[in-house]
Amino acid sequence: MDFREFKDAVVAAATAAGLVDYELYYEQGESISAGSVQRQINQFTNANSGGVCFRAVINGKIGAASTEELSTEQAESIVARAIENGETIESEEKVFLCEGGKSYEPYAPSGLAIPATSELVDAAIDANDRLLKVDSRVEESSAATAMAEKAHISIFNSKGLDLSWDNTAVGMMAMAITSDGNEKTNAYEMKFGELSGDLADEITAEAVRSAISKLGSQVAPTAVCPVIFSPDAMASLLMTFCSAFSSENAQKGLSLLAGKEGAVVASDAVTLVDDPFCEKNPFRINFDGEGCPAHRKNVIEKGRLTTLLYNLKTAAVAGRETTGNASRANYSAPVGIAPFSMYLEAGTLTEDELFAKAGNGVYINSLGGLHAGANPVSGDFSLQSAGAMIENGKKTTPVKSFTVAGNFYELLGKITDLSNEVIFPSPSGTTTFGSPFVLVDNLSIAVKYFLQRKTPRSFALRGVFVHFMRFISDAPFVFSHRRRAA
Amino acid sequence: MIAREVCRRVLQKAVSTGADYAEIFAENTVNHTIGMIADKVDSIRDATIAGAAVRVYKGLRSVMATTVDTSEAGLIRCAEKAAEALGQGKAEIEVVLRERLYGDIHPIRIVPMTAGNAAKVDILKEAYFAAREYSDAIKQVEGTFLDVDHNILIANTEGIYAQDRQIRTRLIMTAIAEKNGETQTGACRPGRRMGLEMFETVSPKETGIHAARQAVTMAGAGYCPAGVMPVAIDNGFGGVIFHEACGHSLEATSVAYGRSQFSGKLGQMIANPKVTAIDDGTIPNAWGSINFDDEGTPSRRNVLIENGVLKTYMIDKFNGRRMGMAPTGNARRESYAFTTTSRMTNTYIAPGDDKNEDIIGSIEYGLYAKEMGGGSVNPVTGEFNFAVNEGYLIRNGKVCEPVRGASLVGKGSEVIKNIDMVGSELDMGQGMCGSSSGSIPTNVGQAMVRVSSITVGGR
Repeated sequence: MDFREFKDAVVAAATAAGLVDYELYYEQGESISAGSVQRQINQFTNANSGGVCFRAVINGKIGAASTEELSTEQAESIVARAIENGETIESEEKVFLCEGGKSYEPYAPSGLAIPATSELVDAAIDANDRLLKVDSRVEESSAATAMAEKAHISIFNSKGLDLSWDNTAVGMMAMAITSDGNEKTNAYEMKFGELSGDLADEITAEAVRSAISKLGSQVAPTAVCPVIFSPDAMASLLMTFCSAFSSENAQKGLSLLAGKEGAVVASDAVTLVDDPFCEKNPFRINFDGEGCPAHRKNVIEKGRLTTLLYNLKTAAVAGRETTGNASRANYSAPVGIAPFSMYLEAGTLTEDELFAKAGNGVYINSLGGLHAGANPVSGDFSLQSAGAMIENGKKTTPVKSFTVAGNFYELLGKITDLSNEVIFPSPSGTTTFGSPFVLVDNLSIAVKYFLQRKTPRSFALRGVFVHFMRFISDAPFVFSHRRRAA
Repeated sequence: MIAREVCRRVLQKAVSTGADYAEIFAENTVNHTIGMIADKVDSIRDATIAGAAVRVYKGLRSVMATTVDTSEAGLIRCAEKAAEALGQGKAEIEVVLRERLYGDIHPIRIVPMTAGNAAKVDILKEAYFAAREYSDAIKQVEGTFLDVDHNILIANTEGIYAQDRQIRTRLIMTAIAEKNGETQTGACRPGRRMGLEMFETVSPKETGIHAARQAVTMAGAGYCPAGVMPVAIDNGFGGVIFHEACGHSLEATSVAYGRSQFSGKLGQMIANPKVTAIDDGTIPNAWGSINFDDEGTPSRRNVLIENGVLKTYMIDKFNGRRMGMAPTGNARRESYAFTTTSRMTNTYIAPGDDKNEDIIGSIEYGLYAKEMGGGSVNPVTGEFNFAVNEGYLIRNGKVCEPVRGASLVGKGSEVIKNIDMVGSELDMGQGMCGSSSGSIPTNVGQAMVRVSSITVGGR
């Protein structure tokens, strides 16, 4: 049965059960990807997936259940399960569904279509070939992937809300493994855009440059000194600590930004933006996970915390309007809070001027072990890093084998300057993070490590985009305790 | 789930363009999660996952197509997509399927799906309030009860037609303690391939207390000093060191392409002679156990390293082709939406004959890592990093004050040479292991070990 028929069956079951306030969220996607090793496609995937989540207000609480199987039986089952689940909830926070009839800003869909199988295959092999030709130090086991995903979301509720959204993203990824005969290093690069030789050249050159830059690095000295974070490294930090900006975490005592709205939380050089319409996010969208209008906002403006991020529930607790930041990691996940595209606004200095201003210090372009070495609640971090020395205002010897340690909240106050261009590395989950080069005063740099490693960055966009990762057969591994369905 | 004859027709369609192997993996899974925070049941996630994947191979090429439409028509369309993507050719295989009854070595007494929410909430609350009431320093507690009912069907052109029902239950407690304005977390996360009878042997109350005690201990701790030193890593979740440092690099996923630090080293001494490491998916009712893997190969006990010598890798069918080696029962995937690859099950360092007090007593100055946290590894280089959730300094052979913020950093091939003492009390810890085929339940384990020298990251 298709979604429309399923929706009718759910409405019938909900009405029969006497439910008044309910919502049906539907997410569907098709993703195709082709992975090439040794100039041959070793894996090709065409994945169709998607499911629905039914949420209803049961005695003032939200009960929810979801399924991938669209059948009359499941329509009745998710309504019954949602009722049982709602009856189990004890939290006394009021719950709401988004009212219909709100106005939404227009968004610009990518306008791309899913490429034909042959086009994708050719692009992957071509990128793999280009990758192997970039430099003689590139190993034969280096790989490239071309991929595309079409995503659809609709939300319908009993309050007159009826929204839908479609978008398609196309992109490529390269994994370079390089060797100088003594050691092997690797690096990934991914970019969105129409498949082309130019895009392949861009990602392969960057992946190889990054992998090679790690070969034969020296060991950094121990110091407390100025540090410049690359856009990639700072975006990783934002990704790790963005949960601090969630009002839900603040309300539950899991963020030190609780009660700080209106207060200075960063140096006046810092403006932190969340923008659902950011051009660099391939999944621009004009409504959030509850169907509320999404809009651009400055979370921190010139050092002052303007607002935390809210959804309907946490906004009601705080007695204010939602910021339209309700999120669903996928169709079956509970409604949480997340930014759309979060980035530090550009400053005025050029990259060269920023390094000149730093004088002597350390440049960090790679952070590792973020899920282990960083505590999003306390803000403490102690992370494996790699980068280069900054001497007399210039990047010099590549260095690895060191940690950078500090506290995210303190770091925000120590940012003195940002370069004049925001760069967006690969997205993570449904959020894209971006940053210029950022100069931070006096962080602790210590030589403890004899290694450098790029953080395992998730390439997952919408739920189904996670498929991209499986073509990199030695993608970094993560052993996690994190709460998720077992 | 899907009739044998339907599977046969779908597989026949899948090989219609000349594939030399085809496989159907279908599943129907219910994930149920109850979450508590701020003393209340706060959220419930209840999701049915239902779909199928068709994979075809030809030589070293592999194609997978997935669908949520598991009707015969939907499966045939899915098989067509896979066959088309493989290219031009004609069928060279006549598919015959024979049912296999592998049996179930993991009996379940109380099926969580039909136990009702109330019974689960009772268990969750027992653990939750044990943590909450442990100390005034406990400022917040999060608790999760989760259960999974994972029904799978595998049919392939080698003639296998088999089904399995994998039921798992887990309790996750996280406590946050505050002292002098500093917060620290503690956690305890037991899980089994069992139903609610799991809590007859795993005490919910002890689970909550464990999390709270750890949070309170660490909240009072100073930062761990950094440096290269000997480390005693305790049993249970301490086994994550082997999982990260070596386990991933022994998976065909990276070995097949020569990308692993251990590629081409079979039969060689790669570890300290004290180290024997085993991956065993047949431990009854253990968190990482399976009856057969997600390609239909029966699970078994694989000795990976014996007295320091590399004996075998963990191998799935596709990567096994590249390696010219048979599968070892380690092919796993999170769901139909992920391409299967070689993964761990219950992986542990076999117990030795050293005594815990001798291990601690042998260290003049070092770290006692009582409980490890999560970590990650780059299998190309073997470089790993993981957090120490609960650590203590050792001075003159005695465990002294707790230290926080410690991490262990190293290179797999080096650390397993430095494991020079292995205790006798084996225990396992549970985790979700993430890799290219998704997030799967795995056990890690060991008795207490001494690493003679490793880099400890701190401040």
